[in-house]
Amino acid sequence: MTTTIVDAVIPRGSPLPEPPARRPRGEPSRAVRPAPERYRNPIGKYRVTRSARCDGCGLCVEACAYGVHLRPEAYALVGRPEDHRCIGPSCVQGGDSCIDRCPQQALSLRLNPNVECLGDPRWTADLILSTWHQAATGHRPPPHLEYRRGASGGGFDRLRFRFEVPGTAPCRFPRLEGGAVDLGLDLNRRDDGRPQVHIDIPVYGGGMSFGSVSIHTILAKARAAAAWNSFSCTGEGGYPDRLRPYDDHMITQVATGLFGVREETIQRVRIVEFKYAQGAKPGLGGHLLGDKNTPAVARMRGAVPGNSLFSPFPFHSVYSVEDHKKHLDWIKEVNPRCLVSVKVSTPTDVDMVAVGSWYAGAHIIHLDGGYGGTGAAPDIAKKNIAMPVEYAIPKVHKFLSAEGIRDRVTLVASGGIRTAHDCLKAIALGADGVVIGTAEMVALGCVRCACCESGRGCPRGIATTDPELVGLVDPDWATQRLVNLHNAWREEMVDVLGRLGLASVRELRGRSDLLRLLPD
Amino acid sequence: MKDIVRQLLDTRSHIYRGPAAPRPARAAEEGGCGVTGFACTEPLAGRFIYEPSAQMRNRGNGKGGGIAAVGLTPEQMGVPRGVLDEAYLLQIALIDPGCHADLERRFVLPNFDVLLSVRQPHLDDYRDVPGLEVRPPDVHRYVVRPKPRVLDDFARGSGLESLEPRDLEDEFVWRNSYRINDEYYASLGEKRAFVLSHGRDLLVFKLVGYAEQNVEYYRLRDFKAHAWIAHQRYPTKGRVWHPGGAHPFVGVNEALVHNGDFANYHSVCEYLRQRNVRQQFLTDTEVSAQLFDLWDRVYKYPLEYIIEALAPTSELDFDELPPAKQEVYRQIQAAHIHASPDGPWFFIIARSRPDLGQVQLLGITDTAMLRPQVFALSDNGDVQIGLICSEQQAIDATLRSLAREDARFCPVADRTWNARGGSSSDGGAFIFSVDADGNGGRRLSCADKFGRPVELRTGRVRCDLLTPEEDSRPAPEALRELVSRYLQKGDVEALWSHLLDLPTWSPGDLKRFCGLVVEGADTAKARMTAVRLLTLLRDRRFDTGDKRRAGVIQVADRSLEALFDSAPLFGRPASRYWRRVDRATRGLLVPPRAGEEVLVVDSEGFPAEGDDCDAVLLREAYQAGWRRFIVYRLRGQRFHGSGFGPGTDGVRIDLYGSTGDYTSSGMDGMEIHIHGNAQDQVAQIAKGGRLVIHGDVGQTFMYGAKGGEVFVLGNAAGRPLINAVGSPRVVINGTCLDFLAESFMAGDPLTGGGFVVLNGMEFDARARLVPQRTPYPGSNLFSLASGGAIYIRDPGRRIVERQLNGGGIAPIDDRDWSLILPYLEENEALFGIRVRDLLTVDGRERAPRDVYRKVSAVRLSVLAGSKAS
Repeated sequence: MTTTIVDAVIPRGSPLPEPPARRPRGEPSRAVRPAPERYRNPIGKYRVTRSARCDGCGLCVEACAYGVHLRPEAYALVGRPEDHRCIGPSCVQGGDSCIDRCPQQALSLRLNPNVECLGDPRWTADLILSTWHQAATGHRPPPHLEYRRGASGGGFDRLRFRFEVPGTAPCRFPRLEGGAVDLGLDLNRRDDGRPQVHIDIPVYGGGMSFGSVSIHTILAKARAAAAWNSFSCTGEGGYPDRLRPYDDHMITQVATGLFGVREETIQRVRIVEFKYAQGAKPGLGGHLLGDKNTPAVARMRGAVPGNSLFSPFPFHSVYSVEDHKKHLDWIKEVNPRCLVSVKVSTPTDVDMVAVGSWYAGAHIIHLDGGYGGTGAAPDIAKKNIAMPVEYAIPKVHKFLSAEGIRDRVTLVASGGIRTAHDCLKAIALGADGVVIGTAEMVALGCVRCACCESGRGCPRGIATTDPELVGLVDPDWATQRLVNLHNAWREEMVDVLGRLGLASVRELRGRSDLLRLLPD
Repeated sequence: MKDIVRQLLDTRSHIYRGPAAPRPARAAEEGGCGVTGFACTEPLAGRFIYEPSAQMRNRGNGKGGGIAAVGLTPEQMGVPRGVLDEAYLLQIALIDPGCHADLERRFVLPNFDVLLSVRQPHLDDYRDVPGLEVRPPDVHRYVVRPKPRVLDDFARGSGLESLEPRDLEDEFVWRNSYRINDEYYASLGEKRAFVLSHGRDLLVFKLVGYAEQNVEYYRLRDFKAHAWIAHQRYPTKGRVWHPGGAHPFVGVNEALVHNGDFANYHSVCEYLRQRNVRQQFLTDTEVSAQLFDLWDRVYKYPLEYIIEALAPTSELDFDELPPAKQEVYRQIQAAHIHASPDGPWFFIIARSRPDLGQVQLLGITDTAMLRPQVFALSDNGDVQIGLICSEQQAIDATLRSLAREDARFCPVADRTWNARGGSSSDGGAFIFSVDADGNGGRRLSCADKFGRPVELRTGRVRCDLLTPEEDSRPAPEALRELVSRYLQKGDVEALWSHLLDLPTWSPGDLKRFCGLVVEGADTAKARMTAVRLLTLLRDRRFDTGDKRRAGVIQVADRSLEALFDSAPLFGRPASRYWRRVDRATRGLLVPPRAGEEVLVVDSEGFPAEGDDCDAVLLREAYQAGWRRFIVYRLRGQRFHGSGFGPGTDGVRIDLYGSTGDYTSSGMDGMEIHIHGNAQDQVAQIAKGGRLVIHGDVGQTFMYGAKGGEVFVLGNAAGRPLINAVGSPRVVINGTCLDFLAESFMAGDPLTGGGFVVLNGMEFDARARLVPQRTPYPGSNLFSLASGGAIYIRDPGRRIVERQLNGGGIAPIDDRDWSLILPYLEENEALFGIRVRDLLTVDGRERAPRDVYRKVSAVRLSVLAGSKAS
């Protein structure tokens, strides 16, 4: 019970600047502002425990450069350790840590037991914590967190950039400084008279419907996309009116259920995405289980509240490539200025699907690999059906190159892009850019508990439609978290490209020679 | 398996080199395509397959096109009839003509008595065919019979002495061609030559390009055959295509084209390889032709059983078969289910049966009807034609091009319909047969899978084809005055009641009457009245007596076209009421001037899609201020009414001709009338407004719709209203093939939600309303629906629980009736289908609750949230 008293009297988090002031809505900026965790007890990698032997001498406050130990003015006692800031054993090895200096030996350090139950080999605890850190600060996480890759032992996790592997010959190019590196992409390469669409970072946000995630989450994604001159996507639950200010940065998704798809939602955007399949569950359409189909969600979709909404697979109007072309022609007729993106999963013949889509008139081909996250996909489908995107990207890239059309289409990849490094590896394998989903959810505080789909939905208020839980996420805070994440990624990408001597992310495309596959 | 059949299949190992390769991988991925075909009592020139093929160009990508001609004429082939019936036409594609001598020396001369050896004429330079980018193969044709001695050796060597001579000969020819392909095409990877076809009375041509380019390049415009089929291919793999992969593929005496693709290609190959049938071209279509050949020529199954093996009957349909049939079908399914192609497919097969003096054209659809298919029959008395196509517009194009040259053909089909795949009603297949009629002529018949004939129920007197003296008789002055007076008064009713006397008219009277209507339309009011009257004549089902209905429609269509043509083009002096725009003048489009109410769009020549299509023109005209549109001479153009955006109340579009896919998709407020049959994907995501279809409607009608009021005179094909939400309100006077309102989510109809009224009616020969065999034949009605309702006219209680897959069925109550009555009254106003007639059962008018039943949602555990489950 002591902790309760301590919590009650000591203001927390004081060494860091104040949380961002509310900014007027509708003018998203990419400026980094601190956006600390929204819970009172943030989760850190380590646990620092102060025993009853502590006599409040305060040496630990002097010893710690990271703000773990705090004693506000006029307080006699040192507060409970803010151990989420602790950098762990590397600090102790220096011999000058709080542990060493405590005359009472009242402090002890260990791995936070919460962390042991956090994450999985693909999304390790380190990745989750470092994504939180990036979202909170907008910059690279501290060195005690492995923020570049997971521990799955395969795919991106076994790939390294050549400068990361000792003994690899150094790059021929001189290292470039950050300012000279360009991350922008043009998305229309068809030269078909439709407008050019430029994004400033090679990343945009994947489709998440109103219904699968809360309106606050959707708004935050859209605003962050606007701030970074990139895109977010509606998913297939309709186009909430609150997104209207961000029309230029939204992608209207046309998915197999056609929920909420109307002519005006197709006409108001610059990109329309056909979702043929999701990597997490090829052969299945979207699922929205009955509990999350609240009256507001049902109103947006015109459906009956409380009933599960299953989208069919595939499009009932598309059973062949010539139907597919007709389908694209239809959208192009409805919106003569939009670009068309085709999102497909990664079956073994994904190369032919991609070529077929190009011939059908697609501007963007979006490959969604088997590690894509979705709460409602059946476990049997997740990761078990579609090909990992690491295989699909080079397969499609090479095939499009052999076909002579690689430079006339934009290839984006999703399904397991967790970090800036994953993003660059995907590009080095042959993609032009990436689409992210889960990483944004983690930035908003997702712990990957996998309770997205049923009951009231996300206990952290991200992927929920429950009116009460939705309130757990403040849209301004959430926007800042995503803006910060993109900044941290941008810094990281600029750094890596600079080390590779590349002046533009476009030069990295298909440069798999810059990657090394670690041996088993 | 009979010993001789086993022996035949086993000894095919003689022609195989080496052990069977591991399971073959498909060489090409191809989804949809365009397929078309017709069979006629007269031999028809190749230019008539050119038209529908060119019309469906947008279903291919120019990477493969092929045609087949069956039922040839001796004069053109340079051999007597007897030879044409008896000898094989070995037609070889020489990609590398340099290998010809070697091929001939090794595979033709030693094996066959060659009766004729000719090089197919072709254009000197393939680049003279616009758009043809790859030089088509040279085609060499041998008219041959196997040498008797060689045949004897073959029989002895293979132990096939007991085989019927013709079967032995067929097998010899088949194996010889296999070896040619193996030597010159399949195995070496050099692709120098391959066998196009080797059947009797049948030729195949294919190239890398579009189907119709065969006609041009090989100079087949005037080449005549009783049956033609064509295929536009849309392959997507590889940069280099070879003509060998294009359709049609052959067995022996049949050529097959295919639209779709198999999910179980490997399983089908495995089945074939267990029977010692190996693949050489590695496409779905090759194995389809192999299956047909195996079951037909080797196993000698009747056609019905072959169709059953391809598209097995299941669910409710199986139960509705007679027990004896069930027993046979069960055996077929047990033996051949692994060979049943899984996935979307539609086959058109043309075959010669010279021993029976017969030519056949078959169309077979998969059990879920996932590919578009339309059948049509046109009986002009002395000349009859049956057609099978992917789209109605291809049928219209064929008949139009025929009628242009030969007045005996009527450009309007007497009957068009869809097959219901794997069903007990028609088996999903129809067969057109051209036989000798015993008087030196030919006769066409049409039957379904079960051999039940398709009959035409219409008068025979043609109003569209008149004798010169009948045609030249002037119209009576009194009539002229009467027509003019009523036109000026705007009295459609009076003129219409006059027209109802058509059964008593002489054949030329209709044309004269319509001529007067066109002439008399000289004021705004008269023009509007004339359009309404002639439209009524084409749309309304009424008793035409001894007059053939197709001919009546033809006269109405021609009159309407003449009327619309009289509207002045932009750039010409204005006249009241309307303004016309066509392809050439589209750049002159300006906002309507005072007195100009209607924009008349002549669609001829506009592309079907893209930035230059007439649907885009319509949208631009709407933005310029036009609100009323008449679009005519449609040739399959798509997307009319799409792209106008929300809130289009007050817009009205009337469509005449062959409308295309996606018509009125996304409509929100406007009113669209389709005068004729509608195509696929109509009213997808429609949100509001009114759509009236004076005919049938194609696949996935109102998919994902949110609202709108829709009236359909005829039937809907498969999967109407899937995933529809909100408040769509639909009256379908016919029925649907299957999967009506799957996952329907349209709330509670009594409190503003959506519903479908399904009347299940049709018209008899005298245009009287009669119930169909069952109001809904499919096994899937309202599956997994969570909202909305279907009001179904079912006085005989034919709909059973097991068709529902989730819904509940109950009698209607007063609230239901007062909900649907206004829609039925509107239906009466639009189509003349009286509510009273709908309520009349066996001659007696009943209470609504005794006639209509309501299918509505029940709470399903599979759809419930965790709280409920």
